Amino acid sequence: MMEGSHSEELYRNPHLLSLSGKIIVFNHTPASCAKDGDRGESISHGHASFERASCRFLKAAPRAVAIGGMKTSAHVDIRCKCAVDVQRRVTTPCVLVTRRSEKGASFRYSLLTLSRSNRLEPCFEFTLPYEMKGSVLRGPTVLWSHAGHVFYTSLQAGEVRQRQIPLPLSHCVFGELPLHRGQVFVLGLHNECEDQTTSRVLGYMVESGQAFDGSVVLPLPYVGITRCMLVLSADKEDGALKVAAVAATSHQQLVYFQNGNVKDTCPLPFQLPEDIQLANTGRNGFLFVISFHQGHVCAVWKETFQIASCWSGVSSVHVDDFLGCGTDQILLFFRDGGVKGLPLDHFLITDLCGISYSHGQDTAAPKQTSPLPENNLLTLQALESRLQSGLTVLQELQREVRVKDRVVQQSVQALNDVSSGRELVLTPPEQEGLSALWDSDDESNDEASDDKTQDMPAVSSNPQIDKLWHRIAEDRIVVGVILMIDSSVPVASVSLSILTETGQSSTPAVIQTQSQVLWLPTPCPSSSSSASTLPEPAAKRCRQRIASTPNDLNTCRMAVTAVSRLTPLLNSGCVKCRVMLHYVQRQDAFSLLSSPTPVVLHCGQVAVDIRSDFQTQLLKNPKLKTDEVKEDLLCLLTVLDRWVFHIDSPDHSLGDIDGWIQKIVGCKRVDVSPQYLLFDSAGPSALILLGWRQITPFQGELSVHSSQLQMLKFLDSLLAYLPVSCSVQPVKDKNLPSVTHLCPC
Amino acid sequence: MYQPTCLLNTWVQENNELVKKWKVRSRAQTHLRWCSSEFYKLLRKTQGVPPHPDHVHLELSVVYNACVCATVQSQFTEAQLLLTQAIQRALQMTSDDPVAPDLPAFWRKVLRSVVNTAFNSCVLDLLCLQWAMWLATCQLKTIQEFKLSSLVETRGAGVGDDKRSEARGKTSDAPLLVTDPRRLVELLQICTSIAQGAERLSEDQSSEALSGLQKASSLPAPRTLVAYVHLLSGSCLSHMNCPQMALQCYRKALETDSCCVCALYQSMLIYRQLGNTQAEIQALRLLHSMLMLPSATVPALAGTHLFSPSLLLCSQSLSSLLLVPSALSVLHNLALKCALHGRVSEGVEHYLDLLAALHSEDQHGVRVYAEAPRLPRLPELYLEAGAALLMARRSADCMALCNEVISTTLELLPERLVLEDPEERSEAETRDVTAEGEDKMAMLLWAGAAYLLQGHCHTHLKDWKQAVNHFTRCINLLVKVRCKKTDMVVKQGSDLCVLQRLKGLSLAGRGIAFTQTNHLREALRDLLLSLQAFPECVGAGLWCGEVLWRLGRRQEAVACWEKTWSFTTQSSAEGLPLYLREPQSGPLLDSKELRHRIQELGPT
Repeated sequence: MMEGSHSEELYRNPHLLSLSGKIIVFNHTPASCAKDGDRGESISHGHASFERASCRFLKAAPRAVAIGGMKTSAHVDIRCKCAVDVQRRVTTPCVLVTRRSEKGASFRYSLLTLSRSNRLEPCFEFTLPYEMKGSVLRGPTVLWSHAGHVFYTSLQAGEVRQRQIPLPLSHCVFGELPLHRGQVFVLGLHNECEDQTTSRVLGYMVESGQAFDGSVVLPLPYVGITRCMLVLSADKEDGALKVAAVAATSHQQLVYFQNGNVKDTCPLPFQLPEDIQLANTGRNGFLFVISFHQGHVCAVWKETFQIASCWSGVSSVHVDDFLGCGTDQILLFFRDGGVKGLPLDHFLITDLCGISYSHGQDTAAPKQTSPLPENNLLTLQALESRLQSGLTVLQELQREVRVKDRVVQQSVQALNDVSSGRELVLTPPEQEGLSALWDSDDESNDEASDDKTQDMPAVSSNPQIDKLWHRIAEDRIVVGVILMIDSSVPVASVSLSILTETGQSSTPAVIQTQSQVLWLPTPCPSSSSSASTLPEPAAKRCRQRIASTPNDLNTCRMAVTAVSRLTPLLNSGCVKCRVMLHYVQRQDAFSLLSSPTPVVLHCGQVAVDIRSDFQTQLLKNPKLKTDEVKEDLLCLLTVLDRWVFHIDSPDHSLGDIDGWIQKIVGCKRVDVSPQYLLFDSAGPSALILLGWRQITPFQGELSVHSSQLQMLKFLDSLLAYLPVSCSVQPVKDKNLPSVTHLCPC
Repeated sequence: MYQPTCLLNTWVQENNELVKKWKVRSRAQTHLRWCSSEFYKLLRKTQGVPPHPDHVHLELSVVYNACVCATVQSQFTEAQLLLTQAIQRALQMTSDDPVAPDLPAFWRKVLRSVVNTAFNSCVLDLLCLQWAMWLATCQLKTIQEFKLSSLVETRGAGVGDDKRSEARGKTSDAPLLVTDPRRLVELLQICTSIAQGAERLSEDQSSEALSGLQKASSLPAPRTLVAYVHLLSGSCLSHMNCPQMALQCYRKALETDSCCVCALYQSMLIYRQLGNTQAEIQALRLLHSMLMLPSATVPALAGTHLFSPSLLLCSQSLSSLLLVPSALSVLHNLALKCALHGRVSEGVEHYLDLLAALHSEDQHGVRVYAEAPRLPRLPELYLEAGAALLMARRSADCMALCNEVISTTLELLPERLVLEDPEERSEAETRDVTAEGEDKMAMLLWAGAAYLLQGHCHTHLKDWKQAVNHFTRCINLLVKVRCKKTDMVVKQGSDLCVLQRLKGLSLAGRGIAFTQTNHLREALRDLLLSLQAFPECVGAGLWCGEVLWRLGRRQEAVACWEKTWSFTTQSSAEGLPLYLREPQSGPLLDSKELRHRIQELGPT
């Protein structure tokens, strides 16, 4: 009788542990409730094992152990946990009993272990002036943190030691590393300096007293949010620690870490996780069993890292081989929902893959919430993708067969034709009918002919020199003349040369120069600047020019420039140079027999002033429209290298390249010759003159005058802007530019 | 080892690996789904830790990638949720909590609070995705109010790109994105312009639409979309009564993208509107051959862009503009036009092609764009083809086709049929009953028309006895129909109209045949009855006069002829099927000769 009532008492408000397939039950019996005087405050314990046949837990007779010591304790709290007893090398159920003194000023902690002989024996005791929630770990060791420090007590070498871990740590996580000698460790954030930014994750092995880099277990951002963790494996390879661990965070995730890297995450359905256990279900793999505050439990497959099942209203969850079948099961004890039954009567044993025993549940079937709809969805998606990939393979095969068939048919046809002597007739593409409807006017043709007429040199008896000018660009001098040529007499091989004129030696020396010829439009007084903003068809512009100069039909203007290094001029100490124009004149443009006569013409003198600045009018203000600016532009065109690119984008229109060059690259339009855009950021080495001519929305031509490096830089940024499928081809063998659109002043 | 960067680097690597894998074969649906779930997984990882300023760039990049995946799969609600949550999380660091009643207000707040932060460009990239979602869900008003184009203009123009490449220079492991945001902006801008143009056009704001489209024409865009811009401009111009300019635009569209069939279709409609029949027929012929091209079936833009224009351009008004009838319907139109406008033999060929195409079991190569103007039903096509054959004087072939129609309908012909007034038919009346009645009626009319055509064929062959025979069969069929009410209004195209016309034509045919065999009384009876049923029947009128003349009732004859000449010939026939038109193949009376006779008769 006594036994029975006692047993009921024990199982009424139990603390449960599982060990070797059995459930061990602890309970604290307060002194006040003891009816007979000899029985003071005590802890009773018993064990229960599952019997398959009756689908019940069979309870063994409980025992009670008095926990005296303090006369009266205001409050007693017990926590139980299984931990490895290092000395005895067995896993032992441990009970940590906390007793608060009546005033609440001191707390007495005692750790009891359950021995083999089923006796609850005191292990060690200690007193603290504050309350703590200690964790019982291997040793048995009790760990707790207080006021930014971590303390631990363990029975080592037969004595009780209470220590403080020498490093201040915040946000501590305790755990065990399953190394060959299990190591209890503490992880936490360690601030080297006072400021928050330099904190790092530090680990500390309690037994060996070694500190290690804790980020191999948990990366820094996770330390602060980890509510509980479980180390799955730990290895020491070449001194480096390799750790796999799972942690449940306050961000409602279960995170799998491998060597400090996040391998996978699984969103958890509940908040406030409290514990993670690992269940080995044999062939079906491992399950993480996460218990949450307020009796929620969730199981997650280790392989897929997907939620396997969830339960609510659970009072405690245990993982062990309760059936004795060699693999683990999850044992869930459910809270008594008002039913006056014994707590151990209301349970579920399952491994989520076949095994399921339940008792006291509302329905006979195991109350196993169906897997989340997300899982079904994933399965469906996987199946669907398999189906689709299969289908595509099939379709590809079919297409291939069709192509092969066609090729074979055509080959046979061709062979037949050949053998019968017939000629193979290819049908013209059906699109041809299309082009017949539309008469496409080809603008490029017009333009080509337009250019041609302009390039045709005109005849003159004697070219008339309009102006002689020079510029100094870095270490070079550019000399230029603007000529008026009678177009009735063609001139060819036009070039300039520079002669030094020294006082000492009477023979002038020719300086090596490079000449360039640029055609200019004849001056027309009525030209307006509006032409620069409104791009008109070339043919229209051409007509306008002719119309405006009816008198000068047979004169044309030409700029000849020569560039030379400054050093020979400076070496010879010459400040004044003569500029000579060379050209070849032919009386009859069409008679090839008439021998050309080379002519040399003295154009004038230039005074070299090396102080003259390269910062010319043009660079200061490209909006100006003076002769000087025009000369500056000609000088630039002479000095700078030139590339022309054909840009073709077959399936994507180019958009507003001109606008991009101006807006994004920051080029300014040269008003003297609006076809050019000037980019001048820092000094002459970064100078770029750009010309953009859009042929169709899908094609255009870009001319770049700059140093090679600048050109490449510009092309690089242009390519990033252009459509991906665009091709940029350098145009070779293009005639030198004729400055046809240079606005005359 | 500094921890956050290490974790960050790993995640950036993971993101970049995924992006690279994505780019290898981004077109396969399964691959897309896989990538999507992987990006979601990565996003869970990055969002599993407390927000950290160093992580924002990565996090928003992953959000961008995951959102692109979701949007491309039309999972707009998921993408929207992802977007707003991610931005809220990022803004937790700036201690701003953008709570706003609606999305535009939310975005305004967000943009205000990130304007000078390091992740401004990331947020702008996400805004582009929001834009894409708004566009895909046809929320043009929101886009317009938000002035999105100007907001993200800098990104479109490539400013951000420079910064990005600079950043790339510094650290090789900046998080990559699955699509270049600048390209996305380009696409969004052109698509928005197109959608807006279509919307305005449907709201009769053609000139506004046109100016918007003109601006859009200089935007960088895929070829197909440039063609759409030209096409829409053409539609605007055609709405503004500038058919020639519209034609120019359609031409440009077709030049830009040779697959832009709708431009050709629209040009054809303009030619039809202008009354340029030859050009219309030419356009129809081209349209048909283009629709038969296998290349036209493949959407040209499928692979070039992750965001297909079809995803972004889903407005009703645009798709109705892009609608092109099926190849068969075009072929039917072509055949009809040819037959009506003096290209009878060509028309006949097209009709025969059409019938062959309808008969061939596998209709591969026949593209069903949309059956906007429905094809007539098969017996009607047979009859039209028969009429065309008769016009081409191939009466044997015509008779064969008519036999086909008669043999299929003969068994189903009703003994008696009551024709109801469609006006009186109430909605409540069961549809199927009326449909059945209509079907019977149609069947009867088809058979009648087939007999009529056969009668004409015999007339053409001068086999008067057979002709009388067939016209009689037609008349016998037609008299099975009783009108419910006697004073029903004969409406163009209605069953009653067809019935009366058939009656008139068959009686006229029989009357003419009787005239030829000199049965003048029977002839006069039939011709008068014919004129009663179908007063505008020119043949009946003229022949009636002739019979009266021969019977010596010359004054009556003259009156009859004069009355007939006063009819506007064939005015009402335009909308009628080919087989209900008056045949030009029978024995003819020369009007000149008749007038001569009247003159000889002298004034009465």
